[in-house]
Amino acid sequence: MENFVNALISGLISGSLYAAMALGLTIIYGVSRVFNFGHGVIAVIGAYLTWYLLSALGVPFLLATLLSMAFMAIFGFVLYRLTINPLLKKPNWEFSTVLFMLGAGILLENVVLQVFGPRVKSIPLLVEGMLKVGFLQINWHELLLIAIVVIAITALSLFFKYSRTGQAMRAVAQSIPGAQVVGIHIEQIFGMTFALAFVVTGFSGILLGTKYYLNPHIGWEWMVKGFVIVTFGGLGSTSGAVVAALILGLVEAIATLYLGAIWVWPIWFVLFLVVLLLRPQGILGGRM
Amino acid sequence: MKNLNWKSLLSIVVIAFILLYPWLGASSYNKHLFILFFIWSIVAANWNLMMGYAGINSLGNIGFMAIGGYTAGILAKSFGVPAFLTVPLAGLVTSVIVTVALGLPALRLSGIYIALLTLIFADSLPSVLTQTRDITGGAMGLHEIPPFYPGMDKTGAYYICFVFFLIVLWIIYRVIHSSTGMAFIALRDSENFAYCLGVNKFKERLKVFALSSLLTGAAGAVYVHALGDISPTTLGIEPFLLTIAMIELGGVGTFLGPILGAFVIVFGNEFLRLAGTLRLTLLGALICTIILFYPGGVIQFITALEHRVEALLKRKTSPAA
Repeated sequence: MENFVNALISGLISGSLYAAMALGLTIIYGVSRVFNFGHGVIAVIGAYLTWYLLSALGVPFLLATLLSMAFMAIFGFVLYRLTINPLLKKPNWEFSTVLFMLGAGILLENVVLQVFGPRVKSIPLLVEGMLKVGFLQINWHELLLIAIVVIAITALSLFFKYSRTGQAMRAVAQSIPGAQVVGIHIEQIFGMTFALAFVVTGFSGILLGTKYYLNPHIGWEWMVKGFVIVTFGGLGSTSGAVVAALILGLVEAIATLYLGAIWVWPIWFVLFLVVLLLRPQGILGGRM
Repeated sequence: MKNLNWKSLLSIVVIAFILLYPWLGASSYNKHLFILFFIWSIVAANWNLMMGYAGINSLGNIGFMAIGGYTAGILAKSFGVPAFLTVPLAGLVTSVIVTVALGLPALRLSGIYIALLTLIFADSLPSVLTQTRDITGGAMGLHEIPPFYPGMDKTGAYYICFVFFLIVLWIIYRVIHSSTGMAFIALRDSENFAYCLGVNKFKERLKVFALSSLLTGAAGAVYVHALGDISPTTLGIEPFLLTIAMIELGGVGTFLGPILGAFVIVFGNEFLRLAGTLRLTLLGALICTIILFYPGGVIQFITALEHRVEALLKRKTSPAA
């Protein structure tokens, strides 16, 4: 019983981190229909930048996060402008963007490897200590992570609901011609969407970097998990991604407890197949 | 007709050269590279058949090759099946497994789902291999897999792989020019019109999927018999990217493209060994550059050159005519 409850809690923690990680993927897909196969590396870059600012330059955590988020926004926008935008004008844009981002992912991953070296890094915990209630044991740090994810997701959904840019993004997601008719500049919105998604992804990289370890290759593992999550939740659906991430986080924790960590991936794969076969639009299918 | 002539002439010269090469003092190392070229160009050509012709955005073809390789390795090592049987058997096993587990669900879906499903399929294979350590050797892989015939040397492997290479390319050529190939051209040019003509997209794609996975699995079997070992590193990111680079560099959706690409990448990769850890960086940069600036690959260059030469020839001959 105690183990089970603790597993549930750790499942919720990793689930919420996965949710944060998958959001960037589903935001880009929902608005622009580009599936970002370089997603993992983007998260890794955000995490490494923050690590560098924190450890090597001694910048305080909040400022380090803000600086790297600013960088991610510019990076996302520039990457879209210079590469994705011309690719989208080609007839086979759907798969050429996939292959392009795959190549870019490898390129960036190895740039990170060259710059920071192969050694494992970790971002220091935000707060020390542990909360003990009866048999429950939770790190304050992990509780804080959940709180941060909840706040971030709420902020994001408020942004989509009430800000003009967010509304424009939703309009583009629903129908590009429709958005054009009401005077939305599609390319501008795409650029902003990439910037926003890179910020969210980089931020999730920081959170993941405080909970797990960091190395230049870890992004692929995160990304493939993100792929399962966004498909499970329905491509382009943000609420679906959050629900799916929590479900898969819990499944992962329970599978680890009763079967061992080696079974986590096969179970995820089977779940993924079942969802694709029975409900390809995902559990909460539809768009954002 | 003129351009057909120079192309077939060049193909004959190239084939003759490859046939004679072991007698022209090829080193064992160069023969080894040619074997790699034969096998990887088959993998790339089949991948291109799916991706470039049939529009099946698969990312799991290296996984098909690994399934074929492991099947042949286990059959030959544990059950002593001779190589002329393991190659077709491995192809069949791969085709059945992959088509049932992956093709049937994936081909009902569209676009990005196929890419996701095939990628995640290939990605989950290493954990399957670790689970079945007893017969697959886990992370160590299979070693000392029997060659095609006892006492085979590099020259023997070279010729067997070359024959296999020619057979597979002939099959792919036939498929491209068959009714299935035509159906895909019709689907590409006007999907609705193709449907009106009675083209069944799902069925045609399934055929290509089954055939491609069969040939890719057989290529994996030829690989293990020619080189003697296979391990989960085959499923790593590097072979995957190299093959993608071959297809993209040569030209997606062209018959000769992936073969040219495989040639450049297999031999170029050896030079890149000098670059050490920078190799993958360069490979990623290469893929990005091609997709962004030369989406037609090398074949596009050659075609453009050919048109220019033709125009030049026409201008020279026109006053006489």
